Amino acid sequence: MIFQDMAAYRAASHTPRVAIIGGGVAGITIARKLDARGIPCVLFEAGGEDITEESQDFYRGSTVGDQYFDLDVTRLRYLGGSSNHWAGWCRVLDAYDFESRSYIPHSGWPIRRADIEPFLDETRAILGLREFKATYPLTDNFGRMDLIKSDAVRFGTQFRGELEASRNVAVVLNTTVLELAGDGKAVTGAKLFSAGAPAGDFTAPYFVVATGGLENSRLLLWSNAQSNGAVVPNAKALGRYWMEHPMYWAGNAFITNQDALEFDDEGECFMIPTPPAMAERGVANFHIQLETMPYHGTKQLIAEMACYAPRFTEWVSSAIGMHLQCSARVHIDWEQPPVESNHIALSATERDAAGVPRMELHWKKGDLDRRTLVEGMRMFGEDIALKDIGRLHISDWVLNGEDYPSDMELAGNHHMGGTRMGTDPATSVVDANSRVHGMENLYVAGSSVFATAGQCTPTTTITALSLRLGDHLGRTVAS
Amino acid sequence: MPKTSRRRLLKALFFALPALAIFRHVRPTRHDDIVEVDGWILKRSDLA
Ligand SMILES: Cc1cc2nc3c(=O)[nH]c(=O)nc-3n(C[C@H](O)[C@H](O)[C@H](O)COP(=O)(O)OP(=O)(O)OC[C@H]3O[C@@H](n4cnc5c(N)ncnc54)[C@H](O)[C@@H]3O)c2cc1C
Repeated sequence: MIFQDMAAYRAASHTPRVAIIGGGVAGITIARKLDARGIPCVLFEAGGEDITEESQDFYRGSTVGDQYFDLDVTRLRYLGGSSNHWAGWCRVLDAYDFESRSYIPHSGWPIRRADIEPFLDETRAILGLREFKATYPLTDNFGRMDLIKSDAVRFGTQFRGELEASRNVAVVLNTTVLELAGDGKAVTGAKLFSAGAPAGDFTAPYFVVATGGLENSRLLLWSNAQSNGAVVPNAKALGRYWMEHPMYWAGNAFITNQDALEFDDEGECFMIPTPPAMAERGVANFHIQLETMPYHGTKQLIAEMACYAPRFTEWVSSAIGMHLQCSARVHIDWEQPPVESNHIALSATERDAAGVPRMELHWKKGDLDRRTLVEGMRMFGEDIALKDIGRLHISDWVLNGEDYPSDMELAGNHHMGGTRMGTDPATSVVDANSRVHGMENLYVAGSSVFATAGQCTPTTTITALSLRLGDHLGRTVAS
Repeated sequence: MPKTSRRRLLKALFFALPALAIFRHVRPTRHDDIVEVDGWILKRSDLA
């Protein structure tokens, strides 16, 4: 069932067991899982079925610290959420990403990869993925990893028909949950804003917050502020340990053994370090992306020359009116360590159209970020030279410790942490089942629960975790 | 130009560069036979 607003939904007299807040990847996946078990649920989606300026405006906010994307651009606020513009690059966190590392404070999850593995076949079916191939060794310290560039399922359109036909799931569009109310043990209700106006309160036995990796923190921070801490009773870590995957073009390489690398159809390949290699250098997880130049013939010759004699090549290429670069660009994307000071806060001055304080994202890369960037490039450069796969040149800005460039990709649009999973309520917000510590009926879904980020794109893992939560909720509600 | 001779030409150009004393910062690495020279990570034999 799909309703355009709260008034239409109320008229239908549907009695849900679970209220899911947010109709993106996580929210839709949980709703479908509950549907399969015959459990009635309502899914509140703030936006409609298309992007609108009015809805995106609720996502505006500011960033303090390092340069970041505009907060109303790095995510989408309508049915399907940010899956409406994701690239579809898929991979699941590796087993070692769930384990703690002595040299990275607060690293590690309270669950293991084995806990999500039972849900990986279903995850692949949802995202339309073939089996992932095992990472194979390339050098002593690096493996060639399989990253699937999928057709990027748009959850809103892909599952619209199924949601509309469902007798259990009620999707209520244009309906924002402004805040949750609680008594320190359970959520007692939600305050709604629908079709541009306040729409009263709503209650259900269970609530799942699935509003995205930034918004989950904002909604819970505001709920806590309004309820005197009765929604997230252990709030020390709420909004904190926020993480991204910084990514930069950090060098060029000349590849002498292309066959060893197995470039994909787009001329790219991805390499990851082994856990012992990371530990030995004291770096966070990362991947190296080699992007070959799409040139042929003379252009390719000049592009390759750019590796050997950059100044000479610059002169030649400007003389012939082209700007050609060395034969492969080397990008590095890394796992940002969980750091308490990287956090989401509520603005003291700015509010959205419904009166909720806008988001302030405090985000800065630190020493371990810089170390991972420099040492990660060195590790890779040394290994490909040793194995005669190629030669790498690290960009000057990296070696000279200059500011991060502002004209590169910056990061992955991967919003992780803020309501991280853990056993200690002082450093985490949800437990191993994604339930808010101390709250009987409040769960959080999406990458805000990531305790450590790993190096890969998050949505495949989000989907698997959401299936696991849907399964857990299904059993909890049924009992 | 056939691929192999192009490679050979580039290699020759490349390996001529140290002789031209263009490189300045030489940094040892963890491996005896690998050096970092002005950001290039090379085998010592590349420089011979
Ligand atoms: C440009 C771009 C490229 C990306 N590429 C990749 C990629 O290749 N691979 C990958 O793994 N990931 C990628 N991502 C990240 C991916 O899009 C997200 O990880 C994923 O969409 C998160 O799903 P989610 O359900 O947690 O949140 P979202 O998709 O953000 O969904 C949240 C939903 O909640 C709704 N909502 C928000 N607030 C409220 C409220 N108060 N009440 C009711 N509803 C609310 C929103 O409207 C939205 O529909 C990319 C992101 C961007 C921006």
